[in-house]
Amino acid sequence: MPVALRALLIVILWVLCWVGIRSLPSDLPHRFAETSSPQEKAVSPVFLTEAINPDQGLPMVHVAALAQTPDGILHCVWYGGTAECRPDVKIYFSQREPGGRWTHPVTIMTRDQAEKDLDRPVQGLGNALLIADSDGTLRLLFVTIAMGKWSGSQLNSCVSKDGGFTWSRAEHLTLSPFFNFSELVRNRAVPLHDGGWCVPIYQEFLGKFAELLWLSKDGVWRKSRIAGGCSVFQPSLVPTGEESALVLLRDYTTARKIQLSSTYDGGREWSPASLTTLPNPDAGISGLPLGNNRILVAYNDSTKDRSDLSLALSRDGGGSWSRLVSLLHEEGASFAYPYLFRTSDGMIHLAYTWKSRELRLITFNEAWLNDQAAHSLDP
Amino acid sequence: MSSLLIHQFYAEVAPWAGLALLFIGRNPHPGLRRKIAAVLLAVFVLFIIPIGGWSIAAWLRVLEPNPSVTLTLLLLIALTSRLAGQAWFRRQDWNAAWFFGAVATLVLYPMGLGLTGIDPYSWGWGPVLPLIVTTAATLLLLRGNRFGVILLFPFAGWVLGIQESTNFWNTLADPFYGAVSLILTAILLIRRCSSLTSGTVVID
Repeated sequence: MPVALRALLIVILWVLCWVGIRSLPSDLPHRFAETSSPQEKAVSPVFLTEAINPDQGLPMVHVAALAQTPDGILHCVWYGGTAECRPDVKIYFSQREPGGRWTHPVTIMTRDQAEKDLDRPVQGLGNALLIADSDGTLRLLFVTIAMGKWSGSQLNSCVSKDGGFTWSRAEHLTLSPFFNFSELVRNRAVPLHDGGWCVPIYQEFLGKFAELLWLSKDGVWRKSRIAGGCSVFQPSLVPTGEESALVLLRDYTTARKIQLSSTYDGGREWSPASLTTLPNPDAGISGLPLGNNRILVAYNDSTKDRSDLSLALSRDGGGSWSRLVSLLHEEGASFAYPYLFRTSDGMIHLAYTWKSRELRLITFNEAWLNDQAAHSLDP
Repeated sequence: MSSLLIHQFYAEVAPWAGLALLFIGRNPHPGLRRKIAAVLLAVFVLFIIPIGGWSIAAWLRVLEPNPSVTLTLLLLIALTSRLAGQAWFRRQDWNAAWFFGAVATLVLYPMGLGLTGIDPYSWGWGPVLPLIVTTAATLLLLRGNRFGVILLFPFAGWVLGIQESTNFWNTLADPFYGAVSLILTAILLIRRCSSLTSGTVVID
């Protein structure tokens, strides 16, 4: 190769590199916006239970996720079908106006629709997560299964500008180097200061580990890791300050306890996961910041199964936990995948899968929580 | 042409070139131009034949929607070299390609799939990885290694957005390129070791 040609190629190379780097979006902000709790309107204890999808008649429904638009409407998505990972699984959507009832579930994503949008075969659908932007845009993140089961899952995104009636063409997110296997979403997204979102995600391929998906307001995404390995996954992100947060992690070890990791630099670095005192039967958990260093967690209070759904509270930012109340308990039953969400009126909502047949919602307030704390299971 | 069509068209080039290479064979006779053209066309047609309602190209997209630019270029070089009966790449160029692929694979996949708390895949959204690759490509070009020229194209693909992925890693490496690179690098290293122990000299 002549020297002049080499020199020219090197110049072109560096120019291309420079152009590529210049076109990179600026570093996504790592400042959590959800650091204070909404003020409650009700001061007396409130505790309500209801079904989100009564009489839907599906053999299996699972993984409810909630979001609230600025107009106060609460939205819920979940998936349902004959069984997990089956081709007939669809993603359903329902909404509830303040003081109203849940609307009849509508299908917002099917396997056929996903195939059409992504222009490739899809084996099935899975977990879905809903995010409500400050302008009322709803963003759906959902899992498609390319092959196999959850290890062959991939994440996709679409948006609705009309409150969930119509949805944009789904977009495929490339988040993993190995055939883009296997990224899943499950727990609540946390808003960022610039209008973006931090979404806890996880991998379930060779390892099971926790990650964060950073979504900017204009649709750019990045990913960072909380922990590697094959011991903790399905993170529930709980911000405790603008740059501090902790994640509660589903345990995949023999310890059978909820694990916890924390960050003080906006999620760039995370402490090694450590065991809490709360049990975990390799099941989903959900955490919620209540302000003043208090953290609420919904979890299955067992090391064996999901027959008990309980609440626990930390008053010291996750350092110690006290069991508050057992919400549901029935031997042999399954009350799974709790999803805690707080609406703008200060009410706390706990959606969960009831015996795999229904999505149910428990709504309560801090006054009710304080009552429970007074009669806490743990002193 | 929409970006979706560009992504789809690009994703089909590498499997097409790979399959065409297999069908054409190692030393196609230069006089059989019609046969060769027929093979290339047949492979293309094969890709658009629907199976289970989807073309083979769509099924391949399920597995790998982002074949690396590096692999795509290497396959095209191999294909055009065989068709022209002229080796565009010398042995040291191929060795550099496999060594680069092996290093990229060893850095990217074990940790990218969760071996540690470090995620090298996320480097593909930042400036460090492109700068490292630019430096490596510059060194190769200074040595006159033609694989350095190939490394220009991942940058071009990245800048032009020809892949579905926005991550620079996807333009550089993919599991197929990684697997082939690891095997061939291992063979190369074993040969070198055995030649060193037997006292013979391997000239690349």
